[in-house]
Amino acid sequence: MKNRFMYQILAVLVLLCLPLVLGRFHVSLLTEIIVFAMFGVSYNLLLGYGNLLSFGHAMFFGLGAYTTAVALNHIAGLNFFAVVALATGTATLVGFLIGFLILRQKGASFALLTLAFNALFNAMAIKFTFITHGDDGLSLTRPEINLGFVTINTSDVVVFYFVTLVILGSAILLSWYFTSTAMGNTIVLMRENEERMKFLGYSTNITRLILFALTGGLAGLAGSFYALFFSFVSVDAISITMTTTVLLITFVGGSGRFAGPILGAFVYIYLQNFLSDITDRWPFFMGLIFIVMVIFVPGGLSKLIEDVFRWVKARWKGTTAEAEGET
Amino acid sequence: MSILELVDVRKDFSKLVVLRGIDLSVEAGTKHAIIGPNGAGKTTLFNVITGKHPASAGTIMFKGHNIARYSAHRRNRLGLARSFQTNNAFFGLDVFENVRAGVRSRFGLRYSFIRGPGALQEIDEATWQILRRVGLADSASIPARELSYGQQRALEIGMALSTDPELILLDEPTAGMTREETAEAVEIISRVTEGRTLVIIEHDMDVVFSLADIVTVLQNGTVLVSGPPEEVRRDQRVKDAYLGSD
Repeated sequence: MKNRFMYQILAVLVLLCLPLVLGRFHVSLLTEIIVFAMFGVSYNLLLGYGNLLSFGHAMFFGLGAYTTAVALNHIAGLNFFAVVALATGTATLVGFLIGFLILRQKGASFALLTLAFNALFNAMAIKFTFITHGDDGLSLTRPEINLGFVTINTSDVVVFYFVTLVILGSAILLSWYFTSTAMGNTIVLMRENEERMKFLGYSTNITRLILFALTGGLAGLAGSFYALFFSFVSVDAISITMTTTVLLITFVGGSGRFAGPILGAFVYIYLQNFLSDITDRWPFFMGLIFIVMVIFVPGGLSKLIEDVFRWVKARWKGTTAEAEGET
Repeated sequence: MSILELVDVRKDFSKLVVLRGIDLSVEAGTKHAIIGPNGAGKTTLFNVITGKHPASAGTIMFKGHNIARYSAHRRNRLGLARSFQTNNAFFGLDVFENVRAGVRSRFGLRYSFIRGPGALQEIDEATWQILRRVGLADSASIPARELSYGQQRALEIGMALSTDPELILLDEPTAGMTREETAEAVEIISRVTEGRTLVIIEHDMDVVFSLADIVTVLQNGTVLVSGPPEEVRRDQRVKDAYLGSD
């Protein structure tokens, strides 16, 4: 357990030091990775932990992004933390309302209803031009962070990386902590046997609602940073394609582990960047990779790495490990 | 005093009528067996009592509450628990977690964002106690799906016990067991249901007559006879309908 905690601390230290060695371009990519890791983590709480397949997770992401952009454009002097909180809160609230409406739907009908809601929000983003500027999108200026004793100018790439790392990194760590709480465990009960938990005094409706609102809020938080990162929001943020992106991130990384989608985001962003440099048809290759992954590596990269690690370990220890394994 | 009282409980699934007006009274502290041929409506009766399916009509009084419209989890919190005819655990979780799920629910630790599922010492203690009583203490860290069939049946009983219910409904707890396993299961059941009210669905007549204070015979969605085991055993209608055909 102590050993595991070491890895987390090590990862944070490495991430804090990376801007010292990386160029601005890679720092920027890393920021994007953190944003999508947050998005993926929120989706995996829903899918991997709760076994709720949603095709509408981008509506919360997009809602967070649009709330951020609209608020910054309309409310002068809005505090950085206030806008992030507003975006997260809006997404949480909408998650709560939609969750309430589709509470009783299971499996395919749940998935299709989330897709329908996503399409609805997407259409609103395109049509409500007076607030979203439709296909033109909305640009925004990142607000400064005023901590009282010091003001941080977030327009710098490296500074914004640190801001993202601290806030989203904390949110990811809190999500990780969440999986070990009673509520986190209750979600796993729902995944394992939704019927049985009712006869042990758990309300499946409350469990689903809390999970849907929570993951919606976390996706909204990711969306808010997405808008701040690009200083721009377009309908892409709330499109079905964005839902596909988070699905890809989660499946490529693996939904069986908490760290899966973090790894998935890393691979996705770098791959997208690499492929889009080579060819305009990068989505085609991304799709191809996705298909290969789902068919041949169903547990995702995190499972693959784990298996390889275990295999190497077993080989390393040789026969002694086998003897130990049998006892 | 009766802890559970059913008055004219009916259940139909669209056209199919399964329960045709059940009247049943279960005295607190007794062991009550429900027998009857396949398709008599025994499991449906359990499902209606525990809230898996809503009753189509009738009242179900439990400890003075009409629970007929209550959700399953609300009925459980009032002190009513059940096991299932087929093994129905959290198969991916270990045995300890399976039982702890009910125990922490009883302690009100269901949806906390702060505390862990085993935050209270009482939860761990109560979980271990149940595991020992159903003979699964040595298997606590094994995933439920890797248990033997007999052990999974024991886990069913352990999970039904986990919320510390006053009334416990066991749906064929010895189904598919060998004679030795059955004897052991009966002993476990009589031990763990001490001080509780038990309603049990059972096919094995040895189990029924060694365990039950009252036997109710269900046939075709109605109560045929209800009374002490000897009385039921002597009843000609029961012989015709059920025991004779054995």
